[in-house]
Amino acid sequence: MATQTRLATGGVLLRIAFRNLLASRAKTAIIGGIILLGAVLVVVGSSLLDSFDSGMRRSIQGSLGGQLQVYDERSKDPLAIYGGMMGESDLHAIEDFAAVKKVIGAVPNVKAVVPMGIDQAMVSTGNLIDVTLAKLREDAKKLAAGDASPELRQVYDSRKAHVRRIGELLHEELKSAQAIVDKSSKEYQERVAEYADLERALLPAFWDGFDADPFGHLEFLENRIAPLSSDTGFTFVRYAGTDLDAFAKGFDRLRVVEGKMVPSGQRGILLGKWYADEYLKLRVAHRFEKLKDARQVGRRKIAGDEELQRWVKENQGQTRDLLLQLDPLKAQKATAALQKRLGSKTAELPALLGELLKVDDANFDEHYRIFQEELVPLVQLYSISVGDTIVIKAPTKTGYLKSVSAKVYGFIEFQGLEKSSLAGVMSLMDLTTWRDLYGHLTSEKAKEIADLKAAAGLGELDRDRAEAELFGAASAGPVEAKQSRLDEAVLVGERDQRAVQRDLDGRRYTQAEIDEGVALNAAVLLEDPTKLAATQKAIEAAIQSAKLPLKVVTWQEASGMVGQFVTLARIVLWVAVLIIFAVALVIINNAMVMATLQRVKEIGTMRAIGAQRRFVWVMLLVETVAIGLFFGALGSALGVGLLQLIKSRGGIPATNDQLYFFFSGPTLVPVVGGTSLLVALVIVFLVSVASGLYPAILGTKVTPLEAMSSDD
Amino acid sequence: MASTAAAVNGAAQSIISVRDVSKDYLLGKTHVHALRGVSLGVDRGEFLSIAGPSGSGKTTLLNLIGCVDTPTSGTVLVDGQDTSRLSERALTDLRLHRIGFIFQSFNLVQVLSVFQNVEFPLLLQGGLSQQERSARVNGLLEAVGIGEYARHRPSELSGGQRQRVAVARALVTRPALVLADEPTANLDSATGQNIIDLMRDMNRKDGTTFVFSTHDPKVMAHASAIIRIADGQIAGREAVHGARAEPAAAPVRS
Repeated sequence: MATQTRLATGGVLLRIAFRNLLASRAKTAIIGGIILLGAVLVVVGSSLLDSFDSGMRRSIQGSLGGQLQVYDERSKDPLAIYGGMMGESDLHAIEDFAAVKKVIGAVPNVKAVVPMGIDQAMVSTGNLIDVTLAKLREDAKKLAAGDASPELRQVYDSRKAHVRRIGELLHEELKSAQAIVDKSSKEYQERVAEYADLERALLPAFWDGFDADPFGHLEFLENRIAPLSSDTGFTFVRYAGTDLDAFAKGFDRLRVVEGKMVPSGQRGILLGKWYADEYLKLRVAHRFEKLKDARQVGRRKIAGDEELQRWVKENQGQTRDLLLQLDPLKAQKATAALQKRLGSKTAELPALLGELLKVDDANFDEHYRIFQEELVPLVQLYSISVGDTIVIKAPTKTGYLKSVSAKVYGFIEFQGLEKSSLAGVMSLMDLTTWRDLYGHLTSEKAKEIADLKAAAGLGELDRDRAEAELFGAASAGPVEAKQSRLDEAVLVGERDQRAVQRDLDGRRYTQAEIDEGVALNAAVLLEDPTKLAATQKAIEAAIQSAKLPLKVVTWQEASGMVGQFVTLARIVLWVAVLIIFAVALVIINNAMVMATLQRVKEIGTMRAIGAQRRFVWVMLLVETVAIGLFFGALGSALGVGLLQLIKSRGGIPATNDQLYFFFSGPTLVPVVGGTSLLVALVIVFLVSVASGLYPAILGTKVTPLEAMSSDD
Repeated sequence: MASTAAAVNGAAQSIISVRDVSKDYLLGKTHVHALRGVSLGVDRGEFLSIAGPSGSGKTTLLNLIGCVDTPTSGTVLVDGQDTSRLSERALTDLRLHRIGFIFQSFNLVQVLSVFQNVEFPLLLQGGLSQQERSARVNGLLEAVGIGEYARHRPSELSGGQRQRVAVARALVTRPALVLADEPTANLDSATGQNIIDLMRDMNRKDGTTFVFSTHDPKVMAHASAIIRIADGQIAGREAVHGARAEPAAAPVRS
């Protein structure tokens, strides 16, 4: 058969198929619609998930995961670097990280091995009256030392006034608290005593006599008044103790946004910026930022959005923290500035603040600017500032609290994950501080102590209880590591550790000191991340020959629930696709069987005048495949169009903090995957062939005799 | 095509040779003896009518001759080939290359144009270029008098016009034999006459053998010979005087 005629035969087949499809438009539209929907779903869904996947891959690998993670195979829980359902996973410690680093570091394609220990601990966030009193004490000392500059005098007076104001606010609080307390209770008696103290501190006589004996007065304020303040708080911090230098080198998305990196080899902590914003920042300022983001990134409007309206209301109601921070000098400044900027005659600062914070879509940008320009310079935005030394308390395995001081060198964030809670909640601390906090002894130390004990005739040392038993010997470590039962008194009461800490802050630890000791897990960073599987095998082999009891997992496994999210979403998508195409298969099959039966006479005629069975088979199949491919292609094109539309509108905004992580940024800009398109077309092709097969075979069974029947 | 009209039992002139053919089939639970021992020879160039009441077996006989059915016993030779010895595929090829069909209810492909319907068997055959196909199809459409309707769909034509298209389709492959089962049954008598005249013209011009069934005496009268059939048996063969075609040479295939 000449090629030309073959083409012509193909042409007639297509023509017959096309005309038949046109002739039964309703059927074609239904079948086509289902296939179209399926193709759109495959293209859009799998493209989104691919973008999701690669976003998450970047997020996890770039923030904490690396490409592979190793941890002790004797661990009770699997490693979950972003936390699991039941909090932090219980990992068996890697005793000697240096050995692990040596073995894994020698495997080809391994760029770096970064030790880690992830845990949560409590941090006292400080207390405004404490801070103000401390500053007042500094000023009083300077004055006593003979500094007589007028600026100092002015600041000193302003601080006194500030303390007095805080006292007034406390007084009001206590008064209302007293009103609701049962008068016969013991508590009431305490309140009455407290109230008396406070009244005394507010008497003009108290303040008139202040300058004569500033330190005596300060003592009274510190011991009797400061504890009354209820905002003495603590919060939880989640951190990874790590070799900070190696971490910064390995995870290049790490950015220090405020302050600086912990100097090489030194102790220190870097707080997550997101964490600081969420837990340490002045609430009003934080909510202002959230409103701004919701409006700009989320393209939401205050009008008609209940959540945003709630934030605005909360801001209006919660000006106390802000007011407390303003001493009379600053309050005066703020009042003047707000009066001018808002064009208001109101003299009361709380009312002015209320006015400023009552924002709507029209005035938001202006009010936000005023807030930033006039109020932010007057207040301390974060309850922990860069440069502060904070006390971190973590419970050890034995239920005791261990507390360690650490200097805050800066705030960090992971580029692209600025707003992600999962990545942003992480703080980083040096490995030495972490080890102190973790309370785990190095194997050498444990051995040394065991030897000592053996020499002293004691039994074998229980490793878990070693630290408790050695409570008195805590001087072995450089840090004062006090232990006490977990109660709030410990959390609130520690203020004097800072001096002890100071000597430690300057100390430099060598790389060997950092490496030789405990870690919980280690991130392995690869030169070429695409060779992940091969390198994982190589590492496993190296570990085995070195007889290290380690387990190697991919970043995806290491990220626990988070890592399974995309897999789960993918399963949901493919189940949906499966259902749609199963329905399509049944419907197409049915429709085509009907069509074949209706065309028995036509098929018979074709057979009579010389068409082979194969011709009929191909003719009927072409019809289903044509409809499948046409609508499949149309659906794919529609899907691509939809993705382009999303793209041209700047992507899908991350409307909450979790999405930030999965999107690896403020928006998910979907990438149209070539494979998604191919997969969609292949699926559609296979489904149409499968659903057209039976009707086509039915068609070949039609005999030419059918053409002869005379009924029309 | 290897179908040479080689001498089979000395019947060089026979295009069809039916010998002692019976055909039984099952209708529900009863065996129907549609044909009982029919023998028949048709010469090339004949314009033969098979006549008989309905149920007499004429359609069955035509189906056997047309290779769309095979006999229960006996032999059917079409163009020298024993149809019972041919595979389904070979029978289809025989139909495609040697036989043209005209149906009672026209049986055109509704979704194709008049031109495409006529061209269809040529496409199945293959071998002709686009130009050759066009020339042949258009020539035939002119010859059957519907050249101007080439681009129309069958549904836009009258019954007579449709049957003309069917005649053109049957002739387009230049078959040795054209079979027509009641070609005028769905047409009014004047149109039916015209179709028979057209077939007769084609028979005269090219020498194509025509075998058609009918029960209409007026139509029968145009035949060169009439085979009477009743109860599955041939009741007689009568020549129609003056209607005999000039025996022409076997149709030439390109």
